[in-house]
Amino acid sequence: MAVIEVTDLRKSYADLNVLDGVSFSVEEGEIFGILGPNGTGKTTTVECVEGLRRPDSGSIRIFGLDPVKDARKVRELIGVQLQQTQLPETIKVWEALDLYASFYADPRDWRELLEEWGLADKRNARFGKLSGGQKQRLFIALALVGNPKVAFLDELTTGLDPQARRTTWELVKRVRASGVTVVLVSHFMDEVEELCDRVAVFNRGKVVAVDTPAGLVGGEHRMRFTLMAGDASGVAGLEDLPEVIEVSREGNRVVVTGRGDFATAVTAHLARHHVLVSDLRIDKRTLDDAFAALTGRSFE
Amino acid sequence: MMKLAVVETKLLTREPGALFSLLIPLFILVVFGSSIQPGDTVLLPMALAIAVGMVGLYLLPTTLATYRERGILRRLSATPVRPGNLLVVQLILQLILAVTACGLLLAVAGTVLGAHLPTGVLSAVLVFLLGTASLFAIGLLIAALAPNGRAANGIGVLLYFPMAYLAGLMQPKDQMPAMVARIGEYTPLGAFGQSMREIWAGAAPSPLLLGVLAGYALVVSIAAAKFFRWE
Repeated sequence: MAVIEVTDLRKSYADLNVLDGVSFSVEEGEIFGILGPNGTGKTTTVECVEGLRRPDSGSIRIFGLDPVKDARKVRELIGVQLQQTQLPETIKVWEALDLYASFYADPRDWRELLEEWGLADKRNARFGKLSGGQKQRLFIALALVGNPKVAFLDELTTGLDPQARRTTWELVKRVRASGVTVVLVSHFMDEVEELCDRVAVFNRGKVVAVDTPAGLVGGEHRMRFTLMAGDASGVAGLEDLPEVIEVSREGNRVVVTGRGDFATAVTAHLARHHVLVSDLRIDKRTLDDAFAALTGRSFE
Repeated sequence: MMKLAVVETKLLTREPGALFSLLIPLFILVVFGSSIQPGDTVLLPMALAIAVGMVGLYLLPTTLATYRERGILRRLSATPVRPGNLLVVQLILQLILAVTACGLLLAVAGTVLGAHLPTGVLSAVLVFLLGTASLFAIGLLIAALAPNGRAANGIGVLLYFPMAYLAGLMQPKDQMPAMVARIGEYTPLGAFGQSMREIWAGAAPSPLLLGVLAGYALVVSIAAAKFFRWE
């Protein structure tokens, strides 16, 4: 079941088309990624879905509701973590959770959230004294305190060190495991590859692809090696492997193109025929390559 | 809404600025008050105007502009609660703070210093409300126009000193050039201070000055509402 349906969203600021016909839908229970370089309309799109901005045209349905007309109902159903939002320096962790819980008709017990998000020992700490990772955990907890059906997490790990990013990823997986649909805005390929079930790739205010990360990367990989003994008899049968697309050979240098888990099939085949190789290298396509192929420009 | 009020009250008590706006006017009162004659009618209205001016021009705009700068108003608009509730709570709290500051001044001046307390309580309350409304309106306009909390703070301070001078809060009015003193009477802080002095002198406040205060409150708050941005 689609919980969010966005159809042909358009918005422009002073002649600049920030959103130029954005459409996608988010299924219940998935982690849906919104991926793209900075300034491609990701945040604007999500803020339209949250009801914080109005699109010039197009339609948005979230649980069948309109985020502008049914704002109150929609806000009971969603939890958000916004980019570049802070809390007052002197508010204590428990006060923030208690306060935000009071905004919702059917909130979660914030004491549980304190435990779940490892903030129990920071309960009485002031917001200004928290580390970056602790602040981020508090923001996620605040996004969940209203017991939402969908959580929007916008550039969750920007500014965190690698260790804290990894930890945050595990937390996002836990959110989904608890039955909450997650919409994750990110400009990090690795984050999206690690977390998302499906991804909408944004470029210049348009969605250029919606697919699973594996589906986006999909396509072909290449494997190169050098034949050590110059014996080509074993190489001949490589073309017959179902995963292999093409084999090209130039002297002792061999390049095999294939898809899926072709590298295992190729090395097994070589071993079976006692072919000795050296300098074996696999060029795997990444989301970066996929993005470049989709948009004709590199990601950063 | 109740919880919002409780939390905002706690935050206000943790704000050093709130304490300053209570203590600075009191400090001025006590320092100058040690040398006044019993039954003095000048010092107390001056201290009251300083207290309300500090809350309205300095604390209120700094708090609101900081809330916008930190995205707190925006974050609130993503919840079922309207961010306007936070503005209402803040206005009420700052009004309570101004009342507290004035109450403290009246108590200290009336008991320890033996300064004159006016008999026209009703007109004093009216002047207080109109004066507070006009100064808060200016505070709201600063909050609306300032790009961030620090700028609001700076604008507040920059406005406060000339306004306090024109209002005769920095030096006695009879030592100021007559023209400047006359103009000063029609500034928000000046009209407020002058009306207070009239009440302390046992007279009714001039309707013209009350009108001036009401005018400022109305026009400036409309401008503030027009320019206010949530983000």
